[in-house]
Parts: sequence; C-alpha cells; structure tokens
Amino acid sequence: MGTVTILGAAGFVGTRLVESLVLDGQPEVRAVVRAYRSLAPLARLGPAVTVRLADAEDRAALVPVLQGSDAVVNLITGPPAGIIRSTQSILEACAAAKVPKLIHLSSAVIYGDVASPFLDDDAPPVPRHWMPYAHAKATAEVRLRQQMADAPYQVTVLRPGIVWGVRSPHTMSIVHALLEKRSYLVGEGQGVFNGIFIDNLVACIRACCDHPGEVRGFYNVADEELITWRDFYAALAGPLGYDMSRMPSVSGARFPWSSRAAVEYIQLLPIVNGLYHRLKTRLPDTMKSRIKKWLSGRYEYEGHASRYVTKPTVDREVWHLQKVRHKLSAAKFARHFGYTPPVTFEEGIRRTLLWLAFLGYHLSPTTVLTE
Amino acid sequence: LYRKPLKELERQGILKVTALVDRNAGNAGALHASFPRAAVHEELDRALATGQSDLALILSPAQLHAEQTILALRHDNHVLCEKPMAATESQCDEMIAVAQETGRVLAIGMIRRFFPAFARLRELVVHGELGQIGSFSYSEGRAFDWDVKSPAGFTRHPQGGSGLLFDIGPHALDYLIWLFGALEVASYADDSLAGGVEGNVVMELESSVCTGSVQLSWDFPLKNGLRVVGSDGEAVLRTDEFDRLAIRRAGSFSEVTIDRAYPADVCEPARRRLCPRLYTESIYCQLIQVARAIQLGEPPAVTGEEGRECVRVIESARRRAQPIEMPWLDGPRQEAYRALHWTNA
Repeated sequence: MGTVTILGAAGFVGTRLVESLVLDGQPEVRAVVRAYRSLAPLARLGPAVTVRLADAEDRAALVPVLQGSDAVVNLITGPPAGIIRSTQSILEACAAAKVPKLIHLSSAVIYGDVASPFLDDDAPPVPRHWMPYAHAKATAEVRLRQQMADAPYQVTVLRPGIVWGVRSPHTMSIVHALLEKRSYLVGEGQGVFNGIFIDNLVACIRACCDHPGEVRGFYNVADEELITWRDFYAALAGPLGYDMSRMPSVSGARFPWSSRAAVEYIQLLPIVNGLYHRLKTRLPDTMKSRIKKWLSGRYEYEGHASRYVTKPTVDREVWHLQKVRHKLSAAKFARHFGYTPPVTFEEGIRRTLLWLAFLGYHLSPTTVLTE
Repeated sequence: LYRKPLKELERQGILKVTALVDRNAGNAGALHASFPRAAVHEELDRALATGQSDLALILSPAQLHAEQTILALRHDNHVLCEKPMAATESQCDEMIAVAQETGRVLAIGMIRRFFPAFARLRELVVHGELGQIGSFSYSEGRAFDWDVKSPAGFTRHPQGGSGLLFDIGPHALDYLIWLFGALEVASYADDSLAGGVEGNVVMELESSVCTGSVQLSWDFPLKNGLRVVGSDGEAVLRTDEFDRLAIRRAGSFSEVTIDRAYPADVCEPARRRLCPRLYTESIYCQLIQVARAIQLGEPPAVTGEEGRECVRVIESARRRAQPIEMPWLDGPRQEAYRALHWTNA
C-alpha cells in the first residue's frame, strides 16, 4: 500500500490503526486531525507519521491534505450533524484530490436490534432511529449509497458493531459499571453482542487498503464467534471481582424509565442538544467544573464498590444494544477479502485484561493472562 | 487560564498588563481584546526594551523558558515562569544564577500547590498525621484536551522540554517532592518511538521516607489521584478534586472538604483572602503571591531551586528510560515497538 491518509486519526480506532501501520513498517502514514491537542495520542510515534491539521467539514482545506493518498480512511466521529456534513465534505474532497479509494467507517447500530437473521449487507438502515448517532450514521450511509456508483473512486463502507478491547471507551464503561457493581443484563443477557475486537477492525481496514482489486460496496464486519451479552460481561466480571450470579436482569419488554434516563432523553432532543452545545462555551467555569465532576461518576477509593446494585438505573442505549436479536453476518467481507479475524474472542479478552492491569486495575488472582 | 486572573488584578489596580508577546501575532492579538491598553509584540526583547514592565510572565513552550527568563531578568524584570522551569537542569542553574545576580524574584508556576486539598495532604504527611509513610502511588491520565496553540509540546526537541513528562510530569513530581522531599528515580519507562515524545510513562521513585510509583498518560484514562499509605492511616487525593480529600484511619474512607485561604491582595497583613477551587482562582492566588514577593519581600510559593529539583528528576528519569511493556500487542508488534523505541535508536 502506498500512502494511507487517516481522517480522525487521534480517536480510539484511528490511534490503533496508525500505530499498527507504523509498527508494521508502512512507509507513508498520514494522520489528519482538527486541532493541535489531537496530536497528543500520536506524538509518541514521531516522524513515522506525517500529521496534517484540517477540519473534515472544510472541503477546501481537505483537498490538499488528501492529494497523493492511495487510500483515505474516514474515522471521523463527533456530534451527529457533523458526521453527515463531514461525510459529504470528504466525498467531494476525495474526488477533487483524485483519491483512488475511500474507506468509510459506518456502524451496525443503524440496524437497531437486527430483527432478521438474514439481514443483507446492503439492507437499508432502520428508518428514523431514535439515537441521534445512529440516525446520523444511517443518513451518511444513504448519501454514500446515492453517490457511490458515480464516484470517480472506490468507496468501501465498513459496518462494525461495538468496537471493544484495548482503549475502547465502550469497554471502559462496562469495566467501570462492573467495578461500581451497577451492571445489569437485559433479558438475562441473551441478546447478541455484535462486537468486533479493535485489532480485528484494524485488520479489516487494512485489508481494504491492501486489496488490489474492486473493493466498492457495503460490508458488515464482526468477530467470528457468536457472543451473548452475558458471555461478554462474564468474561470481564470474574477478573474484576464481580460475581455474575449477583448481576440483576431487567426486562427487555419495556424500557424501565428513571429520572436519569429522562434527563438523558431530553438531552438527546435535537433542539436541546444544539442549545447545549451553544451554551457550553458560555457557562461559567464553576458550573462547567460541577458538570464535569457529575459526569465523571463515583470514585471508588477501595478500587471497587462493596455493595451490589439490585435495582439498577438503566441506560437507554445499553438497553437497546442488549436487545439485539441476531448476529450480523460478516461472510461477505470474509469472502471478498479472504479475511479471517486474526484475534479470537478469548485472546481479545486476554489482551484487554492485560491492558487493564497496566492501567492499574486490580485483577482477581485467579485471572489467567498467559497465552 | 491567565486571562481572567490578570483582568481581575488589573481591575483592582494591583498590576497592569503592558505587553503581550507571541511569535504568532494572531495568538497575542486574540488576547488583545481583553487587554486593549497592552502593546502587542512578536519578540520578547522588543517588549522588554520599552522598559514598561516590572514582571514578566513566561508562559511559552518549555524549550523557551530559560532563554526568555534570563532575557527578562537581565531587563530588570521579576519573573513568574510556568512549569516546567526549563528543559534541563543546567538551564535552571543559569536562570537561578541570573536571578541572584540581578536581585530579581524568580518564581515558578505550580498552581496545584494552592489547592486546599493538596496543601492539607502535605500537612498530614509532614506532621505525621498518617504515621510513618510507607508508600504512595500517583496516577494521572486522560485524553489530552487543553486547547494548545502550538504543536511544540508534541514535538521532540534535542534538549527536551516536550512530551508528557514535561507536561503533566512537573505537576506530579513537584507535588511529590513537596510532600516527601528529594526524589530519586529507581526506574522509568515510556512509549516514545525514535523522534517522538512519550504519551505514557511509568516510574518508580524513592525518597528518604518512602517509595512509590507514578503513572501518567495522555491517552489512557487512569484513575486519577494520589494514594499515600502510612502506618496510622491512608489518604487519597483526587487530582480533579481540589478541595476534597479522602482519609482512612480505620475502617472505610471518609471524604472531607478542605478550606484553605490565601492572601488575595498585596496588603500587609492581607485584608482579603481566597480559597481557590478552580484553576483560574489558583492562578490568581499565585499571581498575588508573586506580587507580594516583589512588594513585600515574601518568598514566592515555588522558588527556582524547587523548580530545578523537578527538572533534575525528569532528566534523571530520561537517563534510565526503557520501553514500557505492552503485552496487549501481538508478538511481532511488541518486537517492532521495542526496536523502534527511542532508547534503541
């Protein structure tokens, strides 16, 4: 592969992708970030990465940054409206910069609870998804589909489920919930955990970059194994000292509203969300500081909570994610790219636990971390 | 962060901002709206040559601290130099020598020392309220989110002064030195490849009273805080809770809110006092302390000698550098990482 340019390179997936390219000796890695502060997670890689500053929503600024790229990887995330705007801007900039290949990261969340086991990779997204992020990702996909055929370059859309493992914010939220003993299952945890280990996703992206032939299309990407939410929680619970037999289960039939869930619901309303982002810059420091502390959650001085929560406060997003009914098939991707996930679920958990140990989390003495 | 405190000090007539200096005129220009009477300069020597200033605030990237501080001192300015004091210990020596020679105040910005909980934990340690201190562990890590105006901190410089160790490092090390006295580095590891700057650091430290560990990160979320374990009790200071401290003497931890007020004017004795609970309030107290050092001859909160000690530990750490172990990478990538680490370049 020649020059790979990564938009949103300082995020969770971007950092890992850049790191893997550098460690594997990829000669030309170009990382595009919006602000100087985003250089922090990439700075350790030194001159092996060429860093450029550009706003992904600014088409004119993107064109010179993308010129000379053999593949562009779009990992931009952020506020929902920004996802849609940046997708359009990147599409246009790739054409202007004569980029041969664009790899766009979408999300399996656009399929809601995956109602059918036969959902095709080209199936349309769930209409009017309640989650602004999912709605934005779906809208971006619709735009990509409309323009894909006429685009003067190849567009590949990868659709991972929950990206988990080392550095994953989602995994960290589960770890914290376990340590604070406020975890819960929905419907006894029988829903499907449509996840992909970070290194497997990175391998998928790189397979697209390296593929010499036609890569145009939409592809679901996932881990090999069929994992339930109970399986996933159990894999982390034991090492973190959480007794799975004490994990409460809530009904999957009807969302159990709470005051916190109501506040979060209101926050997600587009008008409130927009207002919040405008107000945020004008809030006094004291208020910003209080909000930050409130959002940071409890601090367990002992390392973990002593009492198990029996009536948990249920997060709406978690509740919906745990209600996924079927595993999304990644067979099309495997077939087209000759791909087999390099990391098994068991190995992914092992690497995640090693990372948690590095962060200073105390793992149960019975945890086995050897290969 | 300095804008609000300086405006407040101007309003009170304690000081007047006479010049804003930045090699990038746009940065200084952006501040000009807050200080319309101040002149804007791209070069420090030009600003100093006007003879309009008595105190220089050196808030530039660390690589410039020594040169700019010495220049300001030579122009008869007192100096408040932000942490880290300089990129090397020898630069610190030179800065201290020039301050002594010119008879000017040289203060180092370490705003966390003013936070009530930080000061209270020091009392607990120094006064033996936790008994004999046995160990400590310090963790501070999060996604870097300061709105920096330059990439200087993320670029390796031949003399040092950039990277995580010069960013969060001085906060952690200065505070630990303040608590436990001089520190020696037992081990140090980071994750920087050749030509890069570290984003993760782990180190083991020793003082004459205890041993401990420090872990810092620009990209991993750590459990931010300092845990000090003594023979009679244990304390946990959260680095994001400036006025709260958790103490356990027996049983479980209990959180206490700490009030600690500092002079808020330059009267002797102070007529007003302020308990800082925000960065801007702490900076205000620090600036007042410097003004009192100049006008009343009080010692600055952090002297050049203390600032130098912190830089000495950083230099000592880098001399012992090893690659951080990253067992979560697969075998070939672990090998590649070790081979590309700056210590093997």
